[in-house]
Amino acid sequence: MRAVGIDGDYESNEPGLVFGATGIADDWPSIRSVLLEAFRLTQLAVVAVEPIVYVVSSDDLLGRNGAASAAVAAGLVSAGRTAGIELANVGLPINVIAIDDEIPGDQVKRWVQRMLEADGAQGELIHLGPGHLGKALG
Amino acid sequence: MTKTAIVTGAAGGIGSAICKRLAGEGWTLIAVDASPRLADTVSILEEAEATVRPVEANLTTDEGLDMVGSAIEGAPPLELIVNNAGITRDARLVNMTEDEFAAVIDVNLGAPYQIISRFAPMMKEGAIVNISSRAYLGNFGQFNYSMSKGALVGITRAFALTLAPRIRVNAIAPGLIGTEMSMAIPADVRERMVDSIPLGRMGEPEEVADLVVFLARPGYITGEVITVGGGRSLSR
Repeated sequence: MRAVGIDGDYESNEPGLVFGATGIADDWPSIRSVLLEAFRLTQLAVVAVEPIVYVVSSDDLLGRNGAASAAVAAGLVSAGRTAGIELANVGLPINVIAIDDEIPGDQVKRWVQRMLEADGAQGELIHLGPGHLGKALG
Repeated sequence: MTKTAIVTGAAGGIGSAICKRLAGEGWTLIAVDASPRLADTVSILEEAEATVRPVEANLTTDEGLDMVGSAIEGAPPLELIVNNAGITRDARLVNMTEDEFAAVIDVNLGAPYQIISRFAPMMKEGAIVNISSRAYLGNFGQFNYSMSKGALVGITRAFALTLAPRIRVNAIAPGLIGTEMSMAIPADVRERMVDSIPLGRMGEPEEVADLVVFLARPGYITGEVITVGGGRSLSR
């Protein structure tokens, strides 16, 4: 498994890409660089027929941590949906997990593992924690 | 007192309609586009006796942003930014080149991000309207476009928080609108798309422009995304 931009020990021989991005510097070159890396790694994973999970922060998604982090988080959700459409017919899962700050790393890891197996979920946005309730995370 | 609006992508179907509607409301327009066809929009606006400052510029460059900055000098107060410029470079994800990805991200996200970052501090009050797309919900063959328009929704939320209460920031997500971009879709594909729209037709650019005018007026809405898609988000 290849894990990029996410804390924790994700090393394993299982196929899969876990891509996380948060704390992006608030300037255009930083945003562009992260999105470009997401594109490159996603394309490589798709070619290698590996499942994909993007991990984002719920606060980033709501725009609470500035425009750069919001751009990347929301961009990954949309990219996951589009890739989800394209990969559905080959049975390759891609999903997104949005996490509240207080969610423990081992819980995130368990959900990453579940979403790599997916079992029918495709292009889905899963929230860990109650922070999204009553908010606008479309 | 007149007010100034920046409208990017002013030469396109939706941009041109936005300019016309805003001119009708008395706005001074800084109409921006990379295409020389901007002159067509400008001549229509001038025939209608609108006050327009055309800027033919590439907004992915510092020089282009500087040209917009120069156009603002001496204009009435800046109270509206409409980030409408957008391009597509469609391909399936496995076939998409890095150049295709970057070109779309630069125009559809980089330009709005930099325009807001640079010019919103000049606004004492007003509104920003980002023209996203219904494709932010996902659309086959548009990994780059969908990501850019989703990211545009993201910066809409972030700037809505950081610029409140001075400036309201919202996004519009048009579906299939009768523009040159849509008419470039093969006819048989376009017909199938229209068949899947509950309202049974493409939208008109003026229907997006009307919503821009509404969001430009003082109100209680900020950080929202409004879809103009004829119900397409619900149908199979």
